[in-house]
Amino acid sequence: MTLVDLLVRSKEKAAEESLRKSLAAAYDAAAEGSAEEREAYAEKVSGLSADELFGFAGYNEAESERIGYSNYSYWGSTLRMFFKNKGAVFILTVMLMIILFTIIQPHLPNQFDPYAVNFDERYIAARNVSPNGTYWFGTNSIGQDLWARIWAGTRTSLIIGFSVALIDAVVGIVMGVLWGYVRRLDFLFTEIYNVLDNIPQTIILILISYMMSPSVKTLIFACSVTSWIGMARFIRNQILIIRDRDYNLASRCLGTPTRRLIFRNLLPYLVSVIMLRIALSIPSAIGNEVFVTYIGLGLPVTVSSLGSLINEGRKVMTVAALRYQLFFPTIILSIVTISFYIIGNAFSDAADPKNHR
Amino acid sequence: MAKYLTKRLLRSVVTLFIVTCVVFTLMRAMPIEGYFQNYEKLTDAQIQAGLREQGLLDPLPVQLWHFFQGLFRWDFGVSHTYRTNVPVTEILRDKLPVSIRLGCLSILTSMVFGIPIGTMMARHKGRFFDKLGTVFIVFIQAVPAAVYFLLIQLYGTTALGVGLLFDAANPRCWILPVLSMALGNTAYYAMWLRRYMVDESNKDYVTLARAKGVSENAIMFRHIFRNSFVPLVQYIPSSFLNTIIGSIYVESLYSIPGMGGLLVTVIEKSDNNMVQAIVLLYATVGVIGLMLGDILMTVLDPRITLAGKAGDR
Amino acid sequence: MKKPIAILLCLVMVMSMLSACGSSGSTAAPADSGTSGAAPAQSGSAASDPASAQGPEIVYVDADDSVYRVLYSSEVTTLNYLTSSNTNDQRIGANTVDTLVEYDSNGEIQPSLATEWTYDDEAQTWTFKLREGQKWVDTTGAPVADVTAGDFVAAMKYMLTPEMGSTTAQNLFGVILNAEEYYNGLAGEEDYKPIDFSEVGVRAEDDYTLVYTLETPVPYFLSMLTYVCFMPAYGPQLEELGASFATSADTMYYNGAYYVSAFEPQVQLVYTKNALNWDAEHIYIETIQRTYNAEASTIGPEMVRRGEIDSATLSSDIVDAWMADPATAPMVSMERPSLDTSYYYCFNFNVHALNENFYRDGMTGWSIDEKYEPWNWEIAVNNENFRQSIRYAINRLSTMYVATGDAISPDTFLENTITPKGFAVDPVTGKDFTAQSAISEIASFDNFDPDMALMFKELAMEELSAQGVTFPVKVLVRYNPSTTNWDNQCVVLEQQLESVLGADYIDVIVEAGPSENFLSLVRRSCDYMLLLCNWVADYADPETWTDPFYQSRNEDGSYHRGFRYAYMAYAITDGTDSADTVAEYFRLVEEAKKITDDTDKRYAAFAAAESYLIEHALVVPYGTQVPNFVVTRINPWEGQYAAFGISNQRFKGMKLLDHYLTMQEYNNSAISH
Repeated sequence: MTLVDLLVRSKEKAAEESLRKSLAAAYDAAAEGSAEEREAYAEKVSGLSADELFGFAGYNEAESERIGYSNYSYWGSTLRMFFKNKGAVFILTVMLMIILFTIIQPHLPNQFDPYAVNFDERYIAARNVSPNGTYWFGTNSIGQDLWARIWAGTRTSLIIGFSVALIDAVVGIVMGVLWGYVRRLDFLFTEIYNVLDNIPQTIILILISYMMSPSVKTLIFACSVTSWIGMARFIRNQILIIRDRDYNLASRCLGTPTRRLIFRNLLPYLVSVIMLRIALSIPSAIGNEVFVTYIGLGLPVTVSSLGSLINEGRKVMTVAALRYQLFFPTIILSIVTISFYIIGNAFSDAADPKNHR
Repeated sequence: MAKYLTKRLLRSVVTLFIVTCVVFTLMRAMPIEGYFQNYEKLTDAQIQAGLREQGLLDPLPVQLWHFFQGLFRWDFGVSHTYRTNVPVTEILRDKLPVSIRLGCLSILTSMVFGIPIGTMMARHKGRFFDKLGTVFIVFIQAVPAAVYFLLIQLYGTTALGVGLLFDAANPRCWILPVLSMALGNTAYYAMWLRRYMVDESNKDYVTLARAKGVSENAIMFRHIFRNSFVPLVQYIPSSFLNTIIGSIYVESLYSIPGMGGLLVTVIEKSDNNMVQAIVLLYATVGVIGLMLGDILMTVLDPRITLAGKAGDR
Repeated sequence: MKKPIAILLCLVMVMSMLSACGSSGSTAAPADSGTSGAAPAQSGSAASDPASAQGPEIVYVDADDSVYRVLYSSEVTTLNYLTSSNTNDQRIGANTVDTLVEYDSNGEIQPSLATEWTYDDEAQTWTFKLREGQKWVDTTGAPVADVTAGDFVAAMKYMLTPEMGSTTAQNLFGVILNAEEYYNGLAGEEDYKPIDFSEVGVRAEDDYTLVYTLETPVPYFLSMLTYVCFMPAYGPQLEELGASFATSADTMYYNGAYYVSAFEPQVQLVYTKNALNWDAEHIYIETIQRTYNAEASTIGPEMVRRGEIDSATLSSDIVDAWMADPATAPMVSMERPSLDTSYYYCFNFNVHALNENFYRDGMTGWSIDEKYEPWNWEIAVNNENFRQSIRYAINRLSTMYVATGDAISPDTFLENTITPKGFAVDPVTGKDFTAQSAISEIASFDNFDPDMALMFKELAMEELSAQGVTFPVKVLVRYNPSTTNWDNQCVVLEQQLESVLGADYIDVIVEAGPSENFLSLVRRSCDYMLLLCNWVADYADPETWTDPFYQSRNEDGSYHRGFRYAYMAYAITDGTDSADTVAEYFRLVEEAKKITDDTDKRYAAFAAAESYLIEHALVVPYGTQVPNFVVTRINPWEGQYAAFGISNQRFKGMKLLDHYLTMQEYNNSAISH
């Protein structure tokens, strides 16, 4: 499976394909268990008369139990599937290490404070020091340690990314389910969607960043204020599609409460896509942060972020000796972004029950 | 078909109306500094007088009514801080053509590159070219545009032997900005086209065609490509808008007098009338873009009959 | 109020002797002066290398085809030089409109449109003879009409019409007879009744005789004439266009050294030499091509390196690298340094939102967000030991270094007094203000002393704990994000202060302010605790440096706030611990102001007041404006020079070099000025 496969998984297609596969798998699984019996049965039936052949079958309690029960575990299968994808597992490991490192880095020995300007005894700052034994990634133009700043920046950017993803997921799912299930709300939501979808997200991002004072909270708000609608719409569409499928119809006929229908019949089906969207919204939130910082509406200097680091680096870009200030944060940003794309896609594949066998 | 088009058009108009109202209302929440060239130096009485004169003390519906009246006269008010007393329409009139030209060129470029790349990647799925294309796509996705645009400018201008700044009269000066702006969409088109083509090639009719002995090239271009191209078409009008907004990087690097950075500039200068006009302009282009996308799809793909399920785009 | 003529003439002399001449810089002293442009200087202030030998002779480009190309990232908001108070906008007027008088490169006043002038015994009526045959030209350089005295009158009438929204008209108030009455009468202000324009003190006796009548003797009147509010404009055109005058290059006429031959906003602005100008032989650069680029600070230096433009500013981020590279080091020089601006750290004595003029929504009770515990600060700031501890803990070198880097020694621009060294020299004794015995000790004294700081910390902690102050005291420091390096300076300050005084004592919090309207939203609204403020001198007298601190009383006895940004009187009206200290300072200033017949005594009295102000840590002096590092093909010392106003933005007199100005050439020029 190539990266592009991972990057853009057409859900509809995957559904079709894996449905076939899982049907076959289910058939195989069913057939496997009864193969001996069938053989014996076939021997037995050969040469029997029609009456003997087509008699009423007796009720076998054990058999019916076996069909009605499976030791299938959704999350177990999901994880098993995911760990089969060696490339994704490797990237996940890298990602986890990065996340872990952003947490433990400040507690390691010999680390600098990311916001501290490093002075000599005369209070003269160590500016633009190229990477060396003391400053592993060098220092920036006012003498702050770039290594510490990059990890602090990664931390900030990841916090923004994860928060936006979480808000997207929670708000998007709740709204989407309401939208799909409560018909009276459909008109309202559709209009909200039309309005939000028609104003380019960048513009909303710029406007909100401008109106509110720059802070991590502002950025999270600005990034998530419109993105949930995409998630909600997707959930709503899926619900409309799945809601009237036969098994749900059957459930409804049997008097299953709506809430149970939603949580047991619908949502599991959507986990894979939700996971994908969550994973993709993290890098896009980080990308938005870089953009907002570029146009000068980003975080204040007292908060390090990947966006502000890249922007600082860009300013000194024309001087070859100072380019390390741009390259280090860009590399980290790229690793984080790519990782989330790949892990998101791999995990969403794995989370799709149709891919489980 | 005509019925669908009318319906779709009407819905766009309604949406546009709502968007306008929402944006207009939101703009009233902007700081009032943006209605004066020299807010800091005015007394309270002057500020009140100025607000009254501009009709900003009227109730919101009245203001909205006046605004719509102005729209029909093609009057968006004047700029206050960006270019004092110059009509907004005049400012936009100078900037729009440049952006549209650049936007069209870059969309064209990205199609010229993106479609063959996507096709080739699908054709050689899993092989070298596919992997090369993948690296390209991943690079564009992962590295911030602000960084590689600057690299392209610094090294590209040396390679082409042109100045760092844009000069409309020199055709070679168009290459780098257009190329930079096209990169994102190129990757985007290539990515999706490849996806659709790979999906399409797994369909039964392809197997059938193959079984019938239709040549691989004929299958690829006559069947797979044509069917895969349809969903891609829907993106093109809206990617045009994103290109214009996204051109802020390129425009500021090369000194191109377009629309890209304008919104940011007028926001920084809190020029409320300008912000309002530009947001509305973008929203309008956005609405039209989505509509065009839908209509293009319908026209290109007779299988799609949207009339039956209007309301769910 | 009639000042004795003696002091007036004294001051006129001061003005002409000093390079630091007075012109009323708009409403002075923005705390965010990041946009302030090119800069004046005192002799040799930047001559850090006086030992350098005379360099080779400077070679210029042939004048006929000299094009000076430069990038700019900040677009003008208007071409209308009669209305804008923005330094950036005023560059237009400076280069395209001649004034009655102008400065030479040594800062001395020379005739320009006026060939001669006289004033009466009271120095209240000034008569100017205008140069005859001067032309207004249009955007193609073609002559349109003659420049007459009526054009000066028309321009002033335009400015004094409130609907035109001139932001520099206030500079005429209190100077030109009845200007304020006329303006306010038209604006319908209470207490003012409309008067006829003929009562305003400006009159065209005939086409070439212009008469100004002043409200009161103004010692710096001549220097004011170079400011935009005394510029002429073609009368009939003003009449015709009204508010749409100068909205584009072809809706205005020019009579200066250059005319605007092309102006496309956010594209380019081109100045072309006006061959019809009376002084055309001294206009050396033929064309000034300014190209807009939003990323000028990044792209500019690279373009200079490739020879595509002739001048670029080097931000302090990269100046070290340029200096370190032998290929680029000889190209680096500086702008001409400025003397009219003084920076200092202000303590906020008013944390209450009392100022209804600048009241903003959402501001209730406190002018500072309650999370910063303004009540705590209010007690602390009024404790002198607390202020002293901060005063002694601020290491100005470390913050100054952010702006200078290694390229130049940071202490070059430090000032230990509010009045910059060399700003006010006694015309009689030749003694500099800072050499007055009352202040000379402070002038040579660096405040940074960690031991003293800690000593005062102990004292302050003891006293303040008893008053219920909780430690650490939160100290809110603000900056304008659009001012280069201010953010980084605050970061350095925060860390430096906390490292000296300890985090148990103060907690410095750095917060960005708005990039637009920073002045009114932060400094005037008192939404800070410790702020690096600046003040731009309005006239050539030490009194100008008391304006940002001293508050006069209104008739009802309350303290006047006005536009002076001064809030220390709250310490008195609120009855705080520092009430006596502030009151004493005010008394000293009032005393000094009374002395108008003896410059030495006057200076000594002001020196005593300023020394008291600094000694009691009501304010901590910081320094003057650090000039930008540049790579340029013009020599800033050849241009017109004045301590205030727009003269420094003029290109007239400058020649295009065939190479980039070196630091040595720069220093040589600096010495000779």
